Amino acid sequence: MNILEAHNVSKNYAEHRALNDVSISIPKQSIFGLLGPNGAGKTTLIRIINQIIMCDEGNILINGENLNPSHVKIIGYLPEERGLYKKMKVGEQLMYLAQLKGLSSSEARGRIKHWLDKLALTEWAGKKVEDLSKGMAQKIQFIATVIHEPKLLILDEPFSGFDPVNANLIKDEILELREKGATIIFSTHRMESVEQLCENIAMIHKSEKILDGTKKEIKDSYRSDKYNVQYKGEISALSADFQVLETKKLEDDFSEATIQSKAGLNPNDLLRELINKTEVHSFVELIPSINDIFISIVEGGKKS
Amino acid sequence: MNQIFLVLKREYVTRVKKKSFLLATLLTPLILPSIIFVIFYFGTKDKTSDLDDIIVVDQSGYFTDAFTESGYAFDYMTGTLDEAKDSMKEKEAFGLIFIPPIDLEDKSKTSYEGFAFYSKTNPSFRVLQDFEKTISARLEEVKLEKSGLDQEVLASLDARVSLASFNLTDAGEESKSNAGLSYAIGYGTGFLIYIFIFVYGSQIMQSVLDEKTSRIVEVIVSSVRPFQLMMGKVLGVGAVGFTQLLIWIVLIGGLSTIGISILGAGSEQVMEAMAQGQNVDLTQSQEMAAQMQELLATIPVGKILFSFLFYFLGAYFLYGALYAAVGSAVDSIQDAQQFMLPIVLPILAAIMSMFFVLEDPNGGLAVTLSMIPFTSPIIMMARIPFGVPAWEIAVSMLLLVVGFVGTIWIAGRIYRIGILMYGVKVNWKTIAKWFTMKV
Repeated sequence: MNILEAHNVSKNYAEHRALNDVSISIPKQSIFGLLGPNGAGKTTLIRIINQIIMCDEGNILINGENLNPSHVKIIGYLPEERGLYKKMKVGEQLMYLAQLKGLSSSEARGRIKHWLDKLALTEWAGKKVEDLSKGMAQKIQFIATVIHEPKLLILDEPFSGFDPVNANLIKDEILELREKGATIIFSTHRMESVEQLCENIAMIHKSEKILDGTKKEIKDSYRSDKYNVQYKGEISALSADFQVLETKKLEDDFSEATIQSKAGLNPNDLLRELINKTEVHSFVELIPSINDIFISIVEGGKKS
Repeated sequence: MNQIFLVLKREYVTRVKKKSFLLATLLTPLILPSIIFVIFYFGTKDKTSDLDDIIVVDQSGYFTDAFTESGYAFDYMTGTLDEAKDSMKEKEAFGLIFIPPIDLEDKSKTSYEGFAFYSKTNPSFRVLQDFEKTISARLEEVKLEKSGLDQEVLASLDARVSLASFNLTDAGEESKSNAGLSYAIGYGTGFLIYIFIFVYGSQIMQSVLDEKTSRIVEVIVSSVRPFQLMMGKVLGVGAVGFTQLLIWIVLIGGLSTIGISILGAGSEQVMEAMAQGQNVDLTQSQEMAAQMQELLATIPVGKILFSFLFYFLGAYFLYGALYAAVGSAVDSIQDAQQFMLPIVLPILAAIMSMFFVLEDPNGGLAVTLSMIPFTSPIIMMARIPFGVPAWEIAVSMLLLVVGFVGTIWIAGRIYRIGILMYGVKVNWKTIAKWFTMKV
């Protein structure tokens, strides 16, 4: 079951098509990476899901229902441009934001207490936001995003504003929320930052979706059968199935080579070949990072 | 609806809890009467304690003890002007009135020259006028005596008239009217609306701007529709203004009741009338106060109060929404200036034409401006105390409702885009584009 499905979503601004026929499906309880460079249209898609703006074409289903105002309550959104009321006290601020998400004041009070305790901020509840350190304000911001226990958590560039300590803390909290049943969408242009977290990925580039699937599928499909080998001695003539792309001298007698294997062969075939020819010290398959894949798609797109 | 209420509540509570609000609300009704009291006090006080000496050199012989102006001690002497000037220096007198020898036998002569007033500092225009009046009155008196006319006969020739004015309604009822009081109420209520538009309009703008610059707005609009946010804001800030107004009415009412009961005199009531911006002639305050009490009973208080509240709210919605739109379009208060002009212009036009309207409350200008929603709140309030046909008020109110629904609609369309735009150079063209943009 998918918590969210976007079908053929398009959005035009005055002279600019911000989204062109984008479809994505996000399985329940997954961590989904919405990737792409700045200006690709990620934020536009997220704003559409949050009903801040409406799409011109296409439709969006949440739990199988057409997007409607009641869904605001099950979505938690941490925008890229975010902030808090500086002059407002932490507790009052969280209460206000929680109530806007439909919580009753008694419900909200309990959860605010729980979260402030959890992130060791209880004594700051009566302080104004402007008196908080940046790190603390970031935690408050996060609490405000999850206070209503959203089923769908949308985080736009979540780690850009957070310092490394908080980023890790928040990452753990996010994983815990996922364990409890939440689905998480990460939107970012820094693909390496979420690569290890995401199970599913969609890439958006120039308003179009250029790739989606599970991270494993994508990586598998972009395996280039290249290997990095460190060895002692020389590699004398390999069979026709393998081709040495480049070699580099390391210290002593060691060398490093990048070897292209023929598609369809498995790593053992290359290893077997090498063992007969040289002394292998290290053998690594070169699996492309999501970033590499993105670049190769974009550049490939340019060529064609 | 619940969302609008939550936004409204936040706007209201954070403002009302501020110390500055408390101070302004409690002190303004005290400050205004205090200032008026001070002016009143010094303006009417007899300066017996600190009299300025004035030397009168009378070479004509007609002016012995003729000057009675309060605040001055007159010192009469004969002799030449130069002698008098010396003695002025010696006595450190404030001024010197020189009266030359006058020939009053020539009956055809009606103007006399050679009078002069010397002083170290420039005398006020009023002081000079007073002395002139005294001198001519004295000369007229002397001339009358010489002509042989009987003073009593002359006095009996006086015929002073004052015109009492009444409003005659179609139903044939008549009520006493008072142009001065109507003027005062019209001016006061119009002016109050004018002040509130500015003060609370800019508060709305500031509030929108704060949400935009603190970047919280996108968090908020993920739970609340931008239109709800804008309306909650306009209503919340409006409720603050309304609260302040009510507290003022209660405070001023209460204070003046206490004042009257303590002081007994009517002066307090004049002060109250002044506090409400009414135009009272200070020198006749005591007399006026008694009349005022009588007159207050003759004005349609209910009608004025109802229209005031209606136009007050109407004006506030109409302009408040526009202020919100401007706040949403810009990134800083400095950038807002360029968009303020078209908002400020009609308000200024209204307040400036108010003086003409008060002179001629049923003239073409008055009627036209009291129909245009952008000026009607101020202008119609200026007209109402003088009596305006019910249908005119009805049309004006209807147009005002249409007007503020319109500006709220326009503002809402600009606002929903504007709040999400950062660092965009905004001009009228971009705003027009936002307005037509589909969300």
